[in-house]
Amino acid sequence: MSGESTHNKLVGSAIRRKEDPDILLGEARYTQDVTLPGMLHAAILRSPYAHARIRSINLDRALALPGVVAGLTGAQLKEISYLQPLAPFPFQSRDPFQKGNPTIKFFDHYCLATDKARFVGEPLAAVVAADRYIAEDALELIDTEFDELPAVVGTEAALAPNAPRLYEEWDDNIMLTFRVSGGDVERAFREADVTVKEEIRSGRFTGTPIETRAVVANYEANSKTLTVWDTTQIAHPISTLIENTIALPQLKVRVLAPRIGGGYGQKWSFYAEEVLIPLLSILTRRPVKWVETRCEHMVGTIHAREQIHGIEAAVRKDGTILGIKDRIVANIGAAYPTGGLASIVTTGMFVPGAYKIENYAGEVIGVVTNKTPFGAHRGFGKSEACFVIERLVDIIAEKLGLDPPEVRKRNFIPPEDFPYVSVTGPRYDSGQYARALTRAMELADYSGWREQQGRLRREGRAIGIGTCLVVEPSSSTRMGSYNAGYYSVRMRMDPNGKVAVFPSGSDEGQGHATSISQLVADELHVPFGDISVVEGDSLACPYGSGSYSSRFSVVGTTAATLAARQLKEKILNVASVLLRVPAASLELGEGEIVARDNPKQAVTLKDAARAAYFSIFRLPEGLEPGLEIIFHYRDPNIEFHADERGRVAMFSSFPYDAEVAVVEVDIESGSLKILKFVSVHDCGNMLNPLIVRGQHLGALAHGFGGALYEELPYDENGQPLATSFKDYFVPTAMEMPELTLDHLVTPNPFTPGGFKGAGETGTVGPPAVLANAVEDALRPMGIKIRQVPLSPTYLWSLIEQAKRCQ
Amino acid sequence: MSTKRRIKVRVNGQSYEHEVESRLLLVDYLRDVVGLKGTHFGCDTTSCGACTVIVDGRSAKSCTRFAVQADGKEILTIEGLARDGELHPIQEAFWTHHALQCGFCTSGMVMAAYFLLLRNSNPSEAEIKHGIAGNLCRCTGYLPIVEAVTSAAQKLRSIKAAS
Repeated sequence: MSGESTHNKLVGSAIRRKEDPDILLGEARYTQDVTLPGMLHAAILRSPYAHARIRSINLDRALALPGVVAGLTGAQLKEISYLQPLAPFPFQSRDPFQKGNPTIKFFDHYCLATDKARFVGEPLAAVVAADRYIAEDALELIDTEFDELPAVVGTEAALAPNAPRLYEEWDDNIMLTFRVSGGDVERAFREADVTVKEEIRSGRFTGTPIETRAVVANYEANSKTLTVWDTTQIAHPISTLIENTIALPQLKVRVLAPRIGGGYGQKWSFYAEEVLIPLLSILTRRPVKWVETRCEHMVGTIHAREQIHGIEAAVRKDGTILGIKDRIVANIGAAYPTGGLASIVTTGMFVPGAYKIENYAGEVIGVVTNKTPFGAHRGFGKSEACFVIERLVDIIAEKLGLDPPEVRKRNFIPPEDFPYVSVTGPRYDSGQYARALTRAMELADYSGWREQQGRLRREGRAIGIGTCLVVEPSSSTRMGSYNAGYYSVRMRMDPNGKVAVFPSGSDEGQGHATSISQLVADELHVPFGDISVVEGDSLACPYGSGSYSSRFSVVGTTAATLAARQLKEKILNVASVLLRVPAASLELGEGEIVARDNPKQAVTLKDAARAAYFSIFRLPEGLEPGLEIIFHYRDPNIEFHADERGRVAMFSSFPYDAEVAVVEVDIESGSLKILKFVSVHDCGNMLNPLIVRGQHLGALAHGFGGALYEELPYDENGQPLATSFKDYFVPTAMEMPELTLDHLVTPNPFTPGGFKGAGETGTVGPPAVLANAVEDALRPMGIKIRQVPLSPTYLWSLIEQAKRCQ
Repeated sequence: MSTKRRIKVRVNGQSYEHEVESRLLLVDYLRDVVGLKGTHFGCDTTSCGACTVIVDGRSAKSCTRFAVQADGKEILTIEGLARDGELHPIQEAFWTHHALQCGFCTSGMVMAAYFLLLRNSNPSEAEIKHGIAGNLCRCTGYLPIVEAVTSAAQKLRSIKAAS
């Protein structure tokens, strides 16, 4: 065999996933499938009120029901000496950046409400029984007394001086404030030809994975070991948070999340049930299982997105945006440690989007309300920022009589400016925004539709064309939080030459095992099928921040690649001893190590591996036995320390997507039809194009949902109006429009693979591009779109209002 | 609280006889009594379709019917599709077209596709979308599923033509 590699490169090829056969055969096991001997089942009593003082919760009748083993109320938590309030997440302190900005207030919530109920769905008590049916029966036997309090529901209402307070200990309902600015925004406004000022709103919606949350806890008293099977994206932080909250001396917590049925951010929170169910196992000395019902999920699992932006832009006549001011108020629900605070800080950072805006002042205010707590949802704060800036560009274009894509192109960060440090601090890695938008407009036949639009309007058809450019920063890190900016991978080649990889993240459906196997097969020249990947085990895998922010494809893949290279070096060192050839003269062939100059000098990988484990007498001092390494990869394109103006580089890769939509609005009903939808996506090099396409399509579906259908409304008493899939409309196959997809490839210069995040960009664009298209369609009626979702009811009411004004 | 009844069912060709509470849901019966965990539980309101199985040749959402209603009936679940370790053409097509990601909806989605193709061996794209409209997927954006069902239909037709 020659020195030339015969290995077929797997990175970049659209190979089928190794995860799939198990799933397709019905053999994959999820948290709800965990069954342990002697296991009990928990059901949770949740608040029926948005805001109420708890006078009493009496379990007597529930506990008397045959089959009920135990129960617990918030009042009883006081008697548990080792129980602490839920530890804060993701920020670990009130001043995470150590600059007095942001400032955060915390409240000591426990895993069951102790004094007041602060949102419908908040856990108040739990019962544990022989089966779930009996546990649910027992809930109905719990006697409760409440004093209902006025609910804080609306964002503006929460800020009113006389608003009822959720937390009497606080001066107001403000949980977080953050200011970020750059340049001289006042000067920009003085020098502007034109200014615009708008209020733009993002509606409350969320991810709704088909797998609801579930927790199974098993406490073994003799060893003080608590094993928790949990639908979480962040097994390691959760193990730490549980230990910090259940402060039993010598407690050892192991969190297992081997297979998750979709996360989209919702399983990146620290939830009360992640403490409550383990606590019930400790108290009963039995394994305890809880599986969330869908109705529980709609109120007990995080919501996202609800923001109001008061945005102003300073603009030159030619469309150049000189400066932007934005006051962002987010309605974040009750102050549980579910992580939503980080998303609104992110919004403040990314309002400038794809544009070279050098003067900016953003103010972010997070107000608590009697609603479900805020958390992460695919697009995490960036979706709201994109909606606002992309709407604003269209509003500017209309005001100046320019074509919206021309205004975009005039302001884009040009390709030669990358890496580009934004006015708020992040370092954008690479991009070709104008090229992507031009390509998308060609594929959509933008100019053709514009030519036809006038004629179609005269025929009475409301046709609109929208454009947008989404930048979706991925791989987040922030000081003072659990998003710690590194990714660790343990990797072992066993004595038979097979490779086991233990990454610190977890998989919620992204295909990590396949992607890692592709990378490792290329680096180590071992067969794809000989590589196994173990994830979601806080004990077996090296510690890490988990899976979020599309970081696997940025830092996870890099950690796996560099771990494999380090392992390769070790293999070559062992082979060097065996072959008596300097390691530098050796290389990997297919299943063997070969001298570059003399192919006859070769040793099989298996023989080298066996020698590393079982013939250490042949290895010199200093060459450690075995072939197992741990590699910690530190994200190079981030900055931990914010400056005095709040500027900091919190994200490391910047995938983007140019989108063009053509829509038709039915003036009679307000219903919307997407006639054409084009997406030109750039996530750098593609590790597996099949997976990237899947991620992008799925993200777009979430985007269509949020743009058109999904909404979590509340009535004036704080009662949620969408509590099942019967009133929370997620897209079915019928709602998916025909899509035209294309790709540009601008590699990430900061990672060896050149990959960027691929799973969130699609979610961000549709609200913006569809709102732009709908406003364009309804322009002759003077209708302005300032919020999503673009439901038929919303559009119909705007149309009716416009008709009355005409 | 609840009365018990003895039921006899056939699941994936195998006979079972159990004493069950009359309020036991079919999905819990299949998962916890028969022990077939491939059928999932996603919404408890007949909306998401993760629990779809075939009962006497018709698709059924097993979260909203009782086990006793299945007495004397023939049930097919995801575990009963493959033959001799070989994936059913629908399963194979889902794999090839990347029609699954987290996999949680997949069992129900495959069973819905199976039922569709029992009734219509050559469905149009619109018919496929309609056929799986009772099954929600939050990962794939559905288009790869539509592609997979189209290709499975083709394969099943060519198998039938050859036999």
